[in-house]
Amino acid sequence: MTTVESVRAIWCRELQAEDISVDDDFFALGGQSLIMVKIQGAFLDELGVEVPMDQMFLNSTVASISAYIDSQAVRAA
Amino acid sequence: MILQGKRVDLPAAPVVHQRFEAHAAATPDAVAVFWAGQEVTYAELNAKANRFAQFLFARGIGRGAKVGVCLDYSTDMLVAILGTLKAGAAYVPFDPAYPSARLQLLLGQVPDLALIVASPATAGMVETADAEIVDLQEMAGQLENLPATAPDVTVTGDDICYAVFTSGSTGTPKLTAVRHEGWFNLMNWLTLEYGLHSGSNHLVVSAFGFDLSQRSLMTPLFCGATQNLMASRNFDAMMAYRMLTERGIRVVHCASSTLYLLIDWENARRGDALTRLDYVLFGGEALKVERLLEWQAREGNTCTLLHQYGVAECTDVATSYDLGAYRTGEHPVPPVGTPAYNTDIHLLDEELRHVAAGEQGEICIAGASVGKGYLNNGPENAKFTTIEVDGQPLRVYRTGDRGHVNEAGELVVLGRIDAQVKVRGMRIDPTDIERALARLDGVREAAVAIAYTEAGEAELIAFTVPAGADLAADALRSGLLETLPRNMVPAHFVNVPRLPLSPHGKVDRVALVDAHRKQNAAGGLAA
Repeated sequence: MTTVESVRAIWCRELQAEDISVDDDFFALGGQSLIMVKIQGAFLDELGVEVPMDQMFLNSTVASISAYIDSQAVRAA
Repeated sequence: MILQGKRVDLPAAPVVHQRFEAHAAATPDAVAVFWAGQEVTYAELNAKANRFAQFLFARGIGRGAKVGVCLDYSTDMLVAILGTLKAGAAYVPFDPAYPSARLQLLLGQVPDLALIVASPATAGMVETADAEIVDLQEMAGQLENLPATAPDVTVTGDDICYAVFTSGSTGTPKLTAVRHEGWFNLMNWLTLEYGLHSGSNHLVVSAFGFDLSQRSLMTPLFCGATQNLMASRNFDAMMAYRMLTERGIRVVHCASSTLYLLIDWENARRGDALTRLDYVLFGGEALKVERLLEWQAREGNTCTLLHQYGVAECTDVATSYDLGAYRTGEHPVPPVGTPAYNTDIHLLDEELRHVAAGEQGEICIAGASVGKGYLNNGPENAKFTTIEVDGQPLRVYRTGDRGHVNEAGELVVLGRIDAQVKVRGMRIDPTDIERALARLDGVREAAVAIAYTEAGEAELIAFTVPAGADLAADALRSGLLETLPRNMVPAHFVNVPRLPLSPHGKVDRVALVDAHRKQNAAGGLAA
């Protein structure tokens, strides 16, 4: 799975929605900080990446947070 | 019914920053603050704060003036706060996590705003014609040339030390002022009652704009300990949890909502850093107390959970309760405990007479913690009133909370006497949100109510009467996020044809929530 696919799957699960597009805004989808913490935990546990909460707020779509995660992976590699 | 706090003498001038200065003199090399990988000693922090105080003093900014602080958690935030206090002025926190429009609304409510301390990351959000913005980093060279000693300013216990915003029924947030004596008394009580000492390494994880964050920020500096700050604008469970272990934290200050998130984080990863703490001091309602007790019952858990009740108008904390003493089933809700030093709880009826022992009354607070009142709202100051006790006049603050005192002599909060609600620990006036909703396009009328999820989580529901076509939840949500902090944006939006009225002619929020719940149960409405 690509990062975008993994991230989208995590979002769909935690937001309990099926039809999230990569450009949908987390907050417009009804996302709240409680859910964001769960997503942050899933990124850590399932993808092995540490994503600071500030970055989650700055990148509030699947597309942009995936790009952030990929940029960190490149830096670490 | 009167519940009395223990009487403990305060110094003749109970001035908060003088206690910090005493530590700076006694233990100059102790670490005062850890932030972004750097430790700053008491001597260094004191010298920086003194220089900023000299800068303010030279500009004539002192007693009566307000200094806005719009910074992310950082060493500079403490420099700005301590420097402001040393100059004799009061600080007003502006949380950079708030939307810019909200910050602008708040700025306009501060009388005698002399200056705003900001950083390149925050300055754009607080630009105003009324006050100059300074950046401590940018003016570092200028500050270096100023004396490293505090300016000669007399500050008394009755002077304002800070003022914070609370949600208001008129749609305008109220700026409520706290006095040095109240703040000193609160931290003196925490220090002595719970044995907080110089080794009690602290971590603060609440948003800067909240009232509880003010004492969370200052308590470690008051007791000679180390404050640990996260380089994060938003609450970050991952970073907070990592700091617990890496920094050897002993005391965590947070809101109840944050505590649940930290416990969830720990449980999900089978950690034990939280259980090994000495204390968690938390404010806000402990709604899901079973979850807290379940966590506290874990083997090897040495952490004492102190749940604290109070209002911003009376220096944030009035009473404290050790949740370890609570047995589910004994009472439907845990008590909020016994009063802080020099603080009394009066339970009064509608005519401001004391109710009998065991009876319900409005919780009114008297004593050292009672604040200066609202700086921007004259009429609301009627909540600060004078009653007669044993023939003597006594100033009390009417909280609007209902409560009674149980057989053990502990205060129990039973609810509100008005429409105010608490969501994730913060007091919110629904009319504040209703006004913001009514300003959005396509909204004819709006009502906001509170409802509880199956997990016991408090949530806001907005009921909107559309002017034309039905309103989309995401449009309303985005609209509100332009002007309101996130914790005030409802979780659910429901279109209704009209707002039902109670027999008294008021919007019947209970009926709205009931109808919504029934429809949901029937599989009708999606949030």
